[in-house]
Amino acid sequence: MQCQEFEQVFEQQEAAPLPADAAAHLGACGQCRAMVSDLEAIQAAARGMAAAQVEPPERLWVSLRAQLASEGIIREPAEAVHTAGWLSGWLAGVPRPALAGAYLAFVLAAAGLIAVQSNLRRVEMSRSTPAPTATAALDSQLTTVERRTISAMRQNNPVVNDSLRKNLDIVDNFIAMCEKDVREEPQNDVAREYLYGAYQQKAELLAMMVERGASGD
Amino acid sequence: MAQQGDAAAFERIYRLHSRRVYALCLRMVGNTAEAEDLSQEAFLQLFRKIHTFRGESAFSTWLHRLAVNVVLMRLRKKTLAETSLEETTEPDEETGGPRKEIGGPDLRLTGSIDRVNLQRAIEQLPPGYKAVFVLHDIQGYEHNEIAGIMSCSIGNSKSQLHKARMRLRELLQEAVRDKARQDRQTARSETAGDD
Repeated sequence: MQCQEFEQVFEQQEAAPLPADAAAHLGACGQCRAMVSDLEAIQAAARGMAAAQVEPPERLWVSLRAQLASEGIIREPAEAVHTAGWLSGWLAGVPRPALAGAYLAFVLAAAGLIAVQSNLRRVEMSRSTPAPTATAALDSQLTTVERRTISAMRQNNPVVNDSLRKNLDIVDNFIAMCEKDVREEPQNDVAREYLYGAYQQKAELLAMMVERGASGD
Repeated sequence: MAQQGDAAAFERIYRLHSRRVYALCLRMVGNTAEAEDLSQEAFLQLFRKIHTFRGESAFSTWLHRLAVNVVLMRLRKKTLAETSLEETTEPDEETGGPRKEIGGPDLRLTGSIDRVNLQRAIEQLPPGYKAVFVLHDIQGYEHNEIAGIMSCSIGNSKSQLHKARMRLRELLQEAVRDKARQDRQTARSETAGDD
């Protein structure tokens, strides 16, 4: 048997014992023995890598969940039961001027988002100001919209308020994690994209409620 | 339940499989930010298509096929972009990588492979070899499972794995030679400094 034939047999054998002629070749050929020994060393090192556990960061699920929610792929079971009741109940209690105010604030927030995005691009070019400073304006606008929306809801069902709070808390936690990442690595594009995504999700959550309120769902 | 959009069911699926999917992506790209991005993309595709899952294959096989495809697509795009800038060496017909230098002595690798060296060498593998090596030697999949994930025959999976290991051997030998050369240079410059 030649070395090339041995290699062909060897690659298809895996853990099974080698046929007699291949085993005989291995016993006689130093080059093939070196190859087998090296490949075993590589396999052993790969097993060592497998033993080192890698955990995906929690922000991955938070971001994924927010994305799925924004695409309408997932729904909360508790929310689904309450949706018709809480939204109509809440909207009935919210004065129309409050809705209009919230809507206007949302438009401002969206405009802010665009402005901040172009600010960030400038920041990226100059590399002089970290991203959190540039996003502070957007953060404060979103907080204003949130405060107005929540205060309009106060007179309503506490279950409804809890549900909204829970959703906002998820997005706020995500924003906090993203801001931390951006603070730690201001030049990391992925971290900045996550932060934008988080702000957009919050804006979308507030906008969806305002929009439904305007259409009287 | 996940097929009806139940958030809790989605989370259960995610918690059950995320570690393996993330580990696969991380070993394939060697970069945590990109691995996160790819894992998210794989799960997004999974949840977008979950209503089409008919149970013809195991769910984990289906998910891993999606994840491998997402990673391979990204790697192939990257390889194309990089090779267009690096066509200075004639490529090897088999691997698509630069042709190796012939003439160096054979080196035994036993005892000289550490995790960093190996990860660095894995990153230089062509995407198809990389996927089979990570799935089999790191993640512990059997060839019949890899054949299902990669949509190839068992024989093909074995052959790809062997080629991947052989390419890794070359890369690791090159790394050992480079290190020996650097050590010699350092020793020489230290001796010259002493004189």
